[in-house]
Amino acid sequence: MTRNKLYTFISVLSLLGYAWLGYQTYSEKQNSSIGQVCMFKATTTLPCPSCGSTRSVLAILQGDLSQAFYFNPLGFLLVVGLFILPLWIIRDVVLKKKSFFKFYLLFEKWIVKKPIMISLIAIILLNWGWNVYKDL
Amino acid sequence: MDSQKVDMFIMSNSKYFESHHLPQIREQLLALDDSKWGLIQTLQFQDPTTILIVSLLAGGLGIDRFMIGDTGLGVGKLLTCGGFGIWAIVDWFIIMGAAKDKNIAKLQQVLY
Repeated sequence: MTRNKLYTFISVLSLLGYAWLGYQTYSEKQNSSIGQVCMFKATTTLPCPSCGSTRSVLAILQGDLSQAFYFNPLGFLLVVGLFILPLWIIRDVVLKKKSFFKFYLLFEKWIVKKPIMISLIAIILLNWGWNVYKDL
Repeated sequence: MDSQKVDMFIMSNSKYFESHHLPQIREQLLALDDSKWGLIQTLQFQDPTTILIVSLLAGGLGIDRFMIGDTGLGVGKLLTCGGFGIWAIVDWFIIMGAAKDKNIAKLQQVLY
């Protein structure tokens, strides 16, 4: 993974995220939607670990934090990521630095430490279980 | 190194690398000292076909990215439900190349 490859990846992902959010708010007003895009849910009928995060992000943007937490707590992480990552990458590109790339490498080293990895997997699985229980 | 050994390595491991990398790998191995042969033989590579199967089945959860060692991207893929489904589909086509890239990086680490 090189710096430019990573930055392209993240930029495309953020753009997709914003486009998706824009589309969702638009279709909410028009009362029409393409429905769910989650392949996991389409094939297994069970919600995936991140199902409900669009609704969660939209709820956060409307200021309804408790509803957002109910839909999917990961939405908070996504809002922070969607807000910070593009700004950080634009700053890096403009100043020709690679601070985000260094952070990414550190993060990859940090997350594969056993206690951290196991607790994160446990959190994701618990959240997933909750998703299935809520039948999102 | 002995050209017979090198050809044996290439023959049994060619599926783990891009075909255009093979001549370069062959040359590097030929120039390599014999003492590294044992080390090179014990290297474990990711099978791109296995990764592709994982990507088809569990790509939406980012398991394929975790398996080839792209942990950061794996987390990103997991949290965004496979990049809104689009990244998961894109990865069906590029994950084999990514796995082969990881394999050659692993081999290069030993060669130098």
